Amino acid sequence: MTMGRISLMACLLVAGSWTGPAMAQAPSSSAAPSPAAAPGGAARPAGGGIGYSKEVPVIASGEWTGARLPDGQPDVQGHWSNTIANHNNFTDPQGGSPGEPSRASSLPRDQRAPSRVSDPADGQIPYLPAARALQQDFAAHFADPVKSHYIEPLARCAPGGVPKSFYWHGYEIRQYPGYVLLLFNSGTRIIHLDDTPHLSPSVKLWNGDSRGHWEGNTLVVDVRNNNGKALFGRTGDFMSENATVQERYIFDSDGKRYNYVATFTDPTVYSRPWTATIPARRYTEADTTNGWHYEAEVANQPPGRPLLHERPERICVENNGPFGGGAVGVPLEGAIIAR
Amino acid sequence: MAGPVRQALAAAALAFAALNAAPLLAQASAEIPRTQSGKPDFSGIWQTLSEADYDLEPHAGRRDAPPGPGVVDGGRIPYLPEALAQRQKYFETREKDDPRLKCWVLGVPRSVYYPAPFQIFQRDRDLTLVHQLGHQVRTIHTNETLHPVELEEPYYLGDSRGHWEGDTLVVDVANFNEETWLDRSGNYHSDELHVVERWSFVDKDTISYQATVEDPKVFSAPWTVNVLLNRRRDKNFQLIEDYCFTLPYDQYYPHKEGE
Repeated sequence: MTMGRISLMACLLVAGSWTGPAMAQAPSSSAAPSPAAAPGGAARPAGGGIGYSKEVPVIASGEWTGARLPDGQPDVQGHWSNTIANHNNFTDPQGGSPGEPSRASSLPRDQRAPSRVSDPADGQIPYLPAARALQQDFAAHFADPVKSHYIEPLARCAPGGVPKSFYWHGYEIRQYPGYVLLLFNSGTRIIHLDDTPHLSPSVKLWNGDSRGHWEGNTLVVDVRNNNGKALFGRTGDFMSENATVQERYIFDSDGKRYNYVATFTDPTVYSRPWTATIPARRYTEADTTNGWHYEAEVANQPPGRPLLHERPERICVENNGPFGGGAVGVPLEGAIIAR
Repeated sequence: MAGPVRQALAAAALAFAALNAAPLLAQASAEIPRTQSGKPDFSGIWQTLSEADYDLEPHAGRRDAPPGPGVVDGGRIPYLPEALAQRQKYFETREKDDPRLKCWVLGVPRSVYYPAPFQIFQRDRDLTLVHQLGHQVRTIHTNETLHPVELEEPYYLGDSRGHWEGDTLVVDVANFNEETWLDRSGNYHSDELHVVERWSFVDKDTISYQATVEDPKVFSAPWTVNVLLNRRRDKNFQLIEDYCFTLPYDQYYPHKEGE
């Protein structure tokens, strides 16, 4: 198959770019999971360490006083990325992956970024017992994936899904009359800003089906049709295909920060609805591009134009490498579809 | 009605049509959707009705393809002799070697005439093409930027730089890798592929799409594909993600037993 060889090369590049964050966040981790020769991965991202902040700013929902697009939407177009950590660990974002603790994990808990779970106050997802057992089983096998279902699906190029896409790599927001478009490293979300109905509940999707509207500075999005497959990260936290998510993207009118605040409701997995808060900042031409938060390229322009960054093609192909031993990949050969 | 009268009426109608042809065209051109800045607005969900993806060249029906009159100007693709032999090999192995079967990315121009919908999102600075199949997002830059001087890796979808010639969007696409094909029948290209696309409205719900393809490693001369793209107008139609490359492993999640 012609695709296999080159694809594996591409996959190594992608793998490199994702080990970057792990190294950047936990430079002393004893278990950097794969080859360290990561393009753009060695350096801590630009932005004064904000890519690894312990703080979650408070941004209140309210009026939007910043720039607007011609159709009236707050103008939040551009490049964004989270400010805390990647998907190593959902509730202890700077604590490291299961079985691969960061050095920071030995510090008192309040010296690391708080849990992404902002409600309940204990920072834990209120799982029902059976669901908690499944999550813990995944975490216990993450570094020893003796079965296929212990491989974090993003390691296979699956879409990051909700909410993991917001703390994976940086991403771009583009806006249009009637739509907000989210371009992630792995996957794309089209948020419809209209009253059209959701897809039939029988259709389950990695990124769900999104309907949204603006309330002042806040983009409110109802996400249904979730398939629950993407997981929230290497700790195996998850929702089921019965979950609905209400997202609130609360933008600071200065255009520099926003908080992603999402409430997860799923009576088959959780004992009550709970809320995640994920802080993000904007990246612009004033920032240095890097392989994690800001994977932009310098545009080639006629002489005399101001610096312009643009998003290169993002295609993750056949990236089958799990972490830890006992690799269980996906066969490279054969047709996946019969259509 | 008497014969002579009818003939006179017919002649008058013809004369009227001739006199009014230009204004009618102008009217049609005014009726296409336009952005605030006055450019044709290609926003919407589009899909070909053509058989182009089955085989770009004229072909009778066969087990894996409905018949098609061909969409290549002049009928045949002008292969170099060795490349033609390779294409014939690919034709024989198409049911396992067509890269579309991986569900990742189809390339350019194939992603445009593949029989699945794609959505165009348009701003003055660019057009974003989100294709339903796989994970294919192409940005056509219309901000006078140029192809990159060098790329870390060539692109599956190429690097697209567009400009307007009247109401036609002309897009120069370069910097390809060689991982995609041009259709299901084994028509292929190398990493020297260069495509020039011309996008223009026929009417508000139909785009004329033309792609001129050159590749000195594979073809003896440039050649051109013409297809129409039709606006999807089914009630409440929307793109539905089709990350079919996940099918070999999606049964393992969330937290399900598997091999």
